[in-house]
Amino acid sequence: MRVLAILAAFIATLICAELAFAEIGRVKSNLGTVAVDRSGHRLGVAPGVRLEPGDVLVTGSDGRMGITFIDGTRMALGPNSRVTLTTFQYDRTRQTGSFVTSVDRGSLGVVSGLIAKSQRDAMRVRTPTSMLGVRGTRFVVNVP
Amino acid sequence: MPLGVAPILLLAGCAAPSALLLAGEDGHPTGALAVLGKNGGEQLLDKPLAAARMSRQHTTLKTMKTVKPAYQRLIATLPPPSKSFTLYFIEDTTTITPASREVLEQMRAEVARRPGAEVQVTGHTDTLGSEDYNDRLSLQRAREIVEFLVSQGFPRDALSAVGRGERDLAVQTGEGVANAQNRRVEVIVR
Repeated sequence: MRVLAILAAFIATLICAELAFAEIGRVKSNLGTVAVDRSGHRLGVAPGVRLEPGDVLVTGSDGRMGITFIDGTRMALGPNSRVTLTTFQYDRTRQTGSFVTSVDRGSLGVVSGLIAKSQRDAMRVRTPTSMLGVRGTRFVVNVP
Repeated sequence: MPLGVAPILLLAGCAAPSALLLAGEDGHPTGALAVLGKNGGEQLLDKPLAAARMSRQHTTLKTMKTVKPAYQRLIATLPPPSKSFTLYFIEDTTTITPASREVLEQMRAEVARRPGAEVQVTGHTDTLGSEDYNDRLSLQRAREIVEFLVSQGFPRDALSAVGRGERDLAVQTGEGVANAQNRRVEVIVR
């Protein structure tokens, strides 16, 4: 009986975690060849498409994409880019969290939001050679 | 000839990742960007157009004179900043005040001009009651307003409810103070 209760609580936690995790942002604009790769599947992109942690954003040689996140962060991807939304945790009540984006190649423009304000280097951007700590700002990262 | 080209390109700095700090948007202060070292050290970009070139071995800093066209296009691709609205309701109801009717129409226009728009409804309380209670109360209030906005024709899948409790007071008060201005609903359209 007790095991069942614990199991039920565990499943409930998983479901809640799933709900809390589901949506971290949405696509706002797209141009040319763009895609979102999610656990091995390639998804089509249009304004309003929801993004989740772990999503890989990909643009072709004519591709561009504009996205917003639930903490107010905004991003733009230039052509020939591959960007992974590695970690995104955000408490909407407390406005705290952590956000790690990996720029594997191409260009990324960022205006940071509430996560970057919540704690020093709570928002970071990784490139193949370096790690950047974002301290509330607008910037561009390029990986040739 | 091709043999000689590669080393020259490397010297010119084409191959390494780079970062460029831009001036704050719309007159907002310029923030800072830190290139974090493995040993806990860092190199800081904190002026507009400060740039870093980050090779595997080391990071070099310099100041650019202009933003190159490719980056200007990238910045133009950024979605516009979100817009914030405050709605007032007749106390303890979901009946909107006459003055807030106009705000509702402004919100509608804002949603219409943003592809893939989201509407975040954030409830705020005064300091009467415990923090936990106010977190729940503000979320419940936000959910009621979400239903109200659905009834006004706002698409449900664009809407979300957030309870912020007593963390963002419009009027600073002590603990346990009733205040109508603090009991409010903020709507962010992004």
